[in-house]
Amino acid sequence: MRQRPSSWTRREWLAAAAAAGLASRGRAAAPSSTVAVARCTSYDHGVPEALKTLFDQIGGIGKLVSGKTVAIKINMTGSLRARTGYRSAWFTRWTHPEVIGAAVRLIGEAGATRIRVLEGSSEDDHPLEEDFLIGGWDPNTILNAAKNVEMENTGSLGLGKEYKRLDVPGGGLIYPAFDCNHSYAECDVMVSIAKLKEHDKAGLSLSLKNMVGAPPGTIYGDSAGYDEPAARPYGARTMFHIGNRQPPEGTPKEKDEKSPRDFGYRVPRITVDIVRARPVHLAIIDGIETQTAGADAALEPDSRRKLVLVKPGVLAASLNPVCADAVAAALMGFSPTAARGAAPFENCDNTLALAEQAGIGAADLDRIEVAGTPIAKLRLPFREQR
Amino acid sequence: MPELIPFRWPASWSDPSKLDLLQGTPVNCLVGEAPPPFPLGNLQFVKLDNDRPPEGIALREGVWPRVLPATRKDTAGGGATGSAWVDNNAWVVRLARATEPGKMVWLTYTPPGGNEVVPLDAFVRPIAEAEAFGGRWVVALDKFFTEQLDRRDQKALAQWKRMTAAMRFFETRREWRDWEPLAPLAVVSTFAGDDKLLSQEFLNLAPRRHLAYRALTVQDVAEASFEKQKAVLYLETTPPQPEVRAKLLEFAQEGGLLIVPQGTVDAPPEERKAEHTLRRVGKGRVAMPLQKWEDPFTLVDQVHVLVSHREDPVQVWNDSDMDTFYVANPAQDHAVVHLIPYASGPSLPITLGLRKAYRRARLLTLSSEMAVRPARGPLGFEIPVREFTDYAVVELEA
Repeated sequence: MRQRPSSWTRREWLAAAAAAGLASRGRAAAPSSTVAVARCTSYDHGVPEALKTLFDQIGGIGKLVSGKTVAIKINMTGSLRARTGYRSAWFTRWTHPEVIGAAVRLIGEAGATRIRVLEGSSEDDHPLEEDFLIGGWDPNTILNAAKNVEMENTGSLGLGKEYKRLDVPGGGLIYPAFDCNHSYAECDVMVSIAKLKEHDKAGLSLSLKNMVGAPPGTIYGDSAGYDEPAARPYGARTMFHIGNRQPPEGTPKEKDEKSPRDFGYRVPRITVDIVRARPVHLAIIDGIETQTAGADAALEPDSRRKLVLVKPGVLAASLNPVCADAVAAALMGFSPTAARGAAPFENCDNTLALAEQAGIGAADLDRIEVAGTPIAKLRLPFREQR
Repeated sequence: MPELIPFRWPASWSDPSKLDLLQGTPVNCLVGEAPPPFPLGNLQFVKLDNDRPPEGIALREGVWPRVLPATRKDTAGGGATGSAWVDNNAWVVRLARATEPGKMVWLTYTPPGGNEVVPLDAFVRPIAEAEAFGGRWVVALDKFFTEQLDRRDQKALAQWKRMTAAMRFFETRREWRDWEPLAPLAVVSTFAGDDKLLSQEFLNLAPRRHLAYRALTVQDVAEASFEKQKAVLYLETTPPQPEVRAKLLEFAQEGGLLIVPQGTVDAPPEERKAEHTLRRVGKGRVAMPLQKWEDPFTLVDQVHVLVSHREDPVQVWNDSDMDTFYVANPAQDHAVVHLIPYASGPSLPITLGLRKAYRRARLLTLSSEMAVRPARGPLGFEIPVREFTDYAVVELEA
């Protein structure tokens, strides 16, 4: 049992204890799946080949995607016009289009009938194609990578006529259900393509945390209305972070409005709720180039995170997002089972452990088969980068 | 007659020795309510009267350019998206140049005054802003600045020197003023009457969305060429008169995108995008709003999506609260991108993205000059611009 932080209330303490109890029940039951890891040092060459090898090493994706509608949640978090210094966000905090394009091509070749590339903007309701252009990339490179490829900005109603409710089986840790853009309901297969990076409120921002961008900003963002969803998204999902309010009337509210408001308690649990409501069938992690942490890292008091541009030169894939994230954590030099208080979970509960407890997947490296390049050969300890 | 470069003579200055401050500077004209009580030598005096502006000059009031600060403890200036509101004069100058072509635009606003103390280093931005957009600020000091100069305060004198250096910078580059904006969109309106607020605010807010435009009045449409534009927005809430309508439809028929009020054309819609319906007309398209245009900021966003960010001639990253103005000479072999930050302090390192390739690029600030190397990017060419304050410009040679 981890140490009880001195500032916790009795309610927080009981909630944590209950979660810990869930841990001992869930760990054995959580499924495990092979994680394939490959060295890939540049976006300019070798990405499709590396990704194809990864897919082969996890058993192939044909059975998963053939004849199916496949949704791909990418990561384009934060301002579209912000760069880390002169470095484009595609190389620092967003999933790189070469990785997205390669995944789209391979999924198309494996027989998917329709592929939808999805991201929910936190600043506009533009077509996602326009957000690619604002970010400085031609979306046609992805739209033309396979047949029947579409893009949708899921930060709002988008092309749907109504929001679709995704229930969390068993009721969820924080939210019992989420109202989302239609694309998350109208798909057979969900793919999460994440960037390899740390996160100030979730410890890690990988294939699980990437899905927090799925619920729309019009309902869960700072612009959300009280009576109904906003027409357009704007701002962060502060509601998720600190529970300052409930979503608009008609949208499922939190199970317990008196549960801890601490982001370190909430964000990992909401992440787990979202992935249980919208399961991820294929996780891909882009660690070819990245930044070690978000731009806010330097603002945290006594932060041990540093924003450093790095080139881990790695791609990873798995049919289980928890397994993929666990291996990715190890590649970053962290223990995927670290307790709260230990890096990278200094400020929050361990999302991977909670996901394992919820039965989504194994976080314990001893239970995960790693194919391809061994972790030890590719490990790049993020906290040691300068 | 030489171009007038005006300075608002402080009413409290009755000592002719203060004229020494103007020696060796580009200032050649004093303005105020009444001339100072001493001989002015080679300096001219102009009384500012909006009803009788000096010949060849269009007077506009304008606003002190800046990110609007919070005015009370519990409030802050905010734009329509929640981002900071920027008080700027770009649209004022550009609209005046469109409605009174051939005249020099003078902005006559004075520093904020009241209880507000304007930092001494904030007086360069008004000069650079007006000049970048082809106008001129009637340089005016506030009480604090004037008093500091009275005391021969070294910081005030240094800032005054920076201000006059800024004037000189633009005086030696007058040709930029007449270069044409590189813009995919032409905004056509009377900019008056019932649609004055909508049309003028559109011009004011377009830079917040980085939508490059060229403004022209309805009466200029007949003679205008739109060959360099991808889209024309007819920004009135009622359809255009027959002659103007015919000219605009001709633009659409030849392949352009025409964005017009409801009721302008009858053809059935084929597509819906950004709260507008689209129909094919000849080789081009006509877009009409699903609902009457009301909110200028939303309209800017919708128009930008209709035109597409693909057509942006210039993009800027890390450009928080910064305006860009991209203009080229008639041959289009020389161009400049003006960068005007409205927030105080140094900018972030920004990146310019240009669709067009240039052979040479130089980054100029008011006190420095350096070659910069355009690098190929996914959508064209990218140019790194290091941190700067007040103003910078990237000079481009094809």
